[in-house]
Amino acid sequence: MTGLSVGGSISAHGLGGAKDLPIPSELAIAGAVAALVISFTVLAIAWREPRYDAATSGRPAPEWLDRLVSSPGLAITGRVFGMVVFLYVGAAAVLGKDSLINPFLGTFYVLLWVGLVPASLLLGPFFKAISPARTISMLFAKISGVPAGEGLRPYPERLGYWPAAVGLFAFVWLELVYPSSTALGPVRLWCAAYLGIMLIGSAVWGTTFLARADPFEVYSSLVAKLSIWGRREPFETVAGRPPQGKGQLVLRSPLANLDTVVARPGLVAVVGVLFGSTAFDSFRESTPWLKLVQSLSASRILPDTVALIAFSAGVAIVLTIATMATGVTSDTPRRALPSLFAHSVVPIIVGYIVAHYLTYLVEYGQRTLVQLSDPFSRGDNYLGTADLQINYWLSEHPTFLAVTKVVAVALGHVVGVVAAHDRAIRLLPRRHQLTGQLPLLVAMVGFTVGGLYLLFAA
Amino acid sequence: MRLSTLAAPLALVLAMSLTACGSDDADPPSSSQGATQDGDTVAVTVTREGDEFTPNGERVELGVDQTLVLTIESDEAGELHVHSTPEQEIAYDAGTSEHELVIDRPGVVEVESHEPDVVLLQLEVR
Repeated sequence: MTGLSVGGSISAHGLGGAKDLPIPSELAIAGAVAALVISFTVLAIAWREPRYDAATSGRPAPEWLDRLVSSPGLAITGRVFGMVVFLYVGAAAVLGKDSLINPFLGTFYVLLWVGLVPASLLLGPFFKAISPARTISMLFAKISGVPAGEGLRPYPERLGYWPAAVGLFAFVWLELVYPSSTALGPVRLWCAAYLGIMLIGSAVWGTTFLARADPFEVYSSLVAKLSIWGRREPFETVAGRPPQGKGQLVLRSPLANLDTVVARPGLVAVVGVLFGSTAFDSFRESTPWLKLVQSLSASRILPDTVALIAFSAGVAIVLTIATMATGVTSDTPRRALPSLFAHSVVPIIVGYIVAHYLTYLVEYGQRTLVQLSDPFSRGDNYLGTADLQINYWLSEHPTFLAVTKVVAVALGHVVGVVAAHDRAIRLLPRRHQLTGQLPLLVAMVGFTVGGLYLLFAA
Repeated sequence: MRLSTLAAPLALVLAMSLTACGSDDADPPSSSQGATQDGDTVAVTVTREGDEFTPNGERVELGVDQTLVLTIESDEAGELHVHSTPEQEIAYDAGTSEHELVIDRPGVVEVESHEPDVVLLQLEVR
């Protein structure tokens, strides 16, 4: 970090100016009570026969909608949009100035990382549809005459989502721990490494690699399971190969859609990194941690890295123990349970992400839109957004903001608990169905209350 | 079970929380230890000896548009960054100097020194 650069100072602690106020204690307590009440209400009165089944759930979309969504035109539009944004922001990253007003940083950390959550909630697997890595790998395959989607060898199924978990960790470490996270060079290097790995991986293992290893695609596709958009697979897919044909477009309730998450190795780690890192983001700005790391003589990289690992691993370990602490039948081995229940933590993550990043997305997102007009920091106005006035309504209404946060967290908790309940009555033997759910329920209340506590104390 | 059955307790709890938090907006900002309140302003003293700063990441409560009087005692000239939106900078000389700071929007604003990177204050503006 070398002092000031033109047009804005390099911040030592990530993008963005003021942070949200802590939520009031009354609201945090109300949210915690809500989480408890919801959990036991679900346990006491919820259905006793599993309701969700990927093969039958959802209703077929109207034919015109299916035709539109599955049309090559829409697919090409998405790919072109992704490539245009990628090249435009890439130009700012390569040719622009190392300054906080370079839109590359805001696009990467805010529009992409945070924005993919609402985009995927609304539109389904959004990043998969626009992913530049996927587009480039498809173009390569076309040029070299490789059958679409296939690589040199099948993707090893036992790797599952582990590469994505590693990629997600690399991203959150860059964003939350690395001191030069807002300097152009390191972020550009990270993106180049990401793109290189994705292209090589997809050449070797086909596009299945992107669906399992691309941190953004895995994150987006996981959140998309809370959207209403689903596909009913026409037949079982061959292991390691992409499905032939797309299947029928169906509209599902988010709960039914969430149930179609496929449990693969590494899913628990993905969930752990996503939830743990968001919690760590609150924690690292809390006064006790700040005072502690600043009183050490060394840099805070090491303690922050250790804490980030502890939060991520902590979530994964709690989930693993809580799901395995039950009686099982011989059909489902105990060690398969953590992955089979990991989907139920996704809504809790999304609720907490909304609570944590809403202002950041709305306000820094607007700032990024303004900056996008001037990619080379010369005072240009390419997109006509340079003179946009940023609307700070959200941070000017802290009570509304705090209530929205608690509602989002509570809503995520409801969906998560219902999803876990449905899975429990499908998988667990009848006499363990109530007691078998309890440890996971306690863990989920712990996640939600812990998240609320951090929103209150940070 | 229908989801509406579930919605009832949730709605109840949230309704309780909404009424509970309606009253806390009027609380006047109070100052924490190390910061002194004097009429309409809050005063904080920052000292720097070489690379040693005090205070270390202390929370200070401040009202929106209330003036923070920052007394800086330093043995060398430097700059503090105020991570409000938009950001503000406070340049100071060696010796004792007094600076005024006003934040016009609620939020948590960090006052930070760069090189070395130390967060001195977290202003809780409400």
